[in-house]
Amino acid sequence: MMIKSHPGEGLLYQYASGDLSAAMTLVVGTHIDMCKACRQTVCEIEQKLCEENLDTLVSVASTTMSKSQCDQMLEAIFASSACNKQAHQPNEILSLEGRRFTLPRTLAHNSHRIGEWSKLVGKLWRAPLTLDNGNQTNLIYMAPGAKLPEHTHKGKEATLVIDGVFNDEQSEYRDGDFILLDPSRTHTPETQDEDCLTLATLDAPLHFTSGISRLLNPFSQLFFR
Amino acid sequence: MQMVSERTSNRGSMATTQTDAAEKAAELLAKIAENRNRAAFSELFRLFAPKLQSYATRQFGNEQTAMDLVQETMTNVWHKAHLFKPDRGSPSTWIFTIARNIRFDLLRKNKKRKDDISADELWPILSEQNDSLDDGYALDHDVLMQEISFYYAQLPDAQRVVIEKIYIEGKSQQEVSDALGVPLGTIKSRTRLALKKLKELIVDDD
Ligand SMILES: [Zn+2]
Repeated sequence: MMIKSHPGEGLLYQYASGDLSAAMTLVVGTHIDMCKACRQTVCEIEQKLCEENLDTLVSVASTTMSKSQCDQMLEAIFASSACNKQAHQPNEILSLEGRRFTLPRTLAHNSHRIGEWSKLVGKLWRAPLTLDNGNQTNLIYMAPGAKLPEHTHKGKEATLVIDGVFNDEQSEYRDGDFILLDPSRTHTPETQDEDCLTLATLDAPLHFTSGISRLLNPFSQLFFR
Repeated sequence: MQMVSERTSNRGSMATTQTDAAEKAAELLAKIAENRNRAAFSELFRLFAPKLQSYATRQFGNEQTAMDLVQETMTNVWHKAHLFKPDRGSPSTWIFTIARNIRFDLLRKNKKRKDDISADELWPILSEQNDSLDDGYALDHDVLMQEISFYYAQLPDAQRVVIEKIYIEGKSQQEVSDALGVPLGTIKSRTRLALKKLKELIVDDD
């Protein structure tokens, strides 16, 4: 299946440099697990970053390590023990409502961070991912015929389709599609006959815009939390 | 520590030098992986420590943090050399991605809480698990979707109906009022009470 919606090259650069937030790194990284083209691009970017940052030695004369510093560090390294702090086994199967989903690698490695699923109104389920302070990253499951009230975002929202299909006013999104929405765009995600599992992260709470749904804005903070 | 051999203004010969350097580094990594060869590691260390130090100094502007990055990166190289896959890229790119991960963690060190995510979890390049990326994602469409009790099934009927009409059918409160023949003020208060109740239910469950 062709993935048609990818992170921009700028975002891939920031991903490869380690300059994105943990949440955005997780979402972009999961897309890369699913997308051969972006995986290739990231390989090339990493190579380029390495050439710029490592292969080309920019001498910072005052800080060059002395021989004794080198020897000291070598000794410390040989004395160190391999820290196999792999406390959490990756679990790539996600079961929800009798459905089984196979999680892409990065997500599988973080399966222990997936919290309890909550059934929300409107055929929607949410499970928060505990990454670090202040993050708002969730797995969202939309059953067939689910609809989110129209909303805009106070910050950028990144959504990745893990499995299934949903659509908004602009387009239809399937497995692997990565959608980055800026604050100016309103949209109304919905599912039709199929269900959809997505990974979503948000800089700021959702802001519902359509008519009376605005009354529901306090609820959005619960939803994307 | 002398690094002059790799510095040259001629791009062509620099590329050749880098290919040679890459082969050399790959050889050293293989030796380290094979029998924990300390001499090989020391040689690799002398090749990469100054580069890492220069990278880290530019990133952090702090000599001590830079040294921490060098040490942590090279410690990983020492213990994880067997995870380097020559067919996936050059040794220096592999070492760079390790350094990138260490940098990610060092930048968050002060704010970090115990359970916060670490770079190794985000870029599992040093995972011992042999998980291939090319297997694709099998779906299991055959398993039936089961309905279980919804949170909002726990709401009083009068509130649940209002919430369903607003959230699922996308109706406005006025439309719900008209459809149910209930005053708008009552719909509003039912919505408010239902949301309050839902919050309680969801928060309790977390
Ligand atoms: Zn892609």
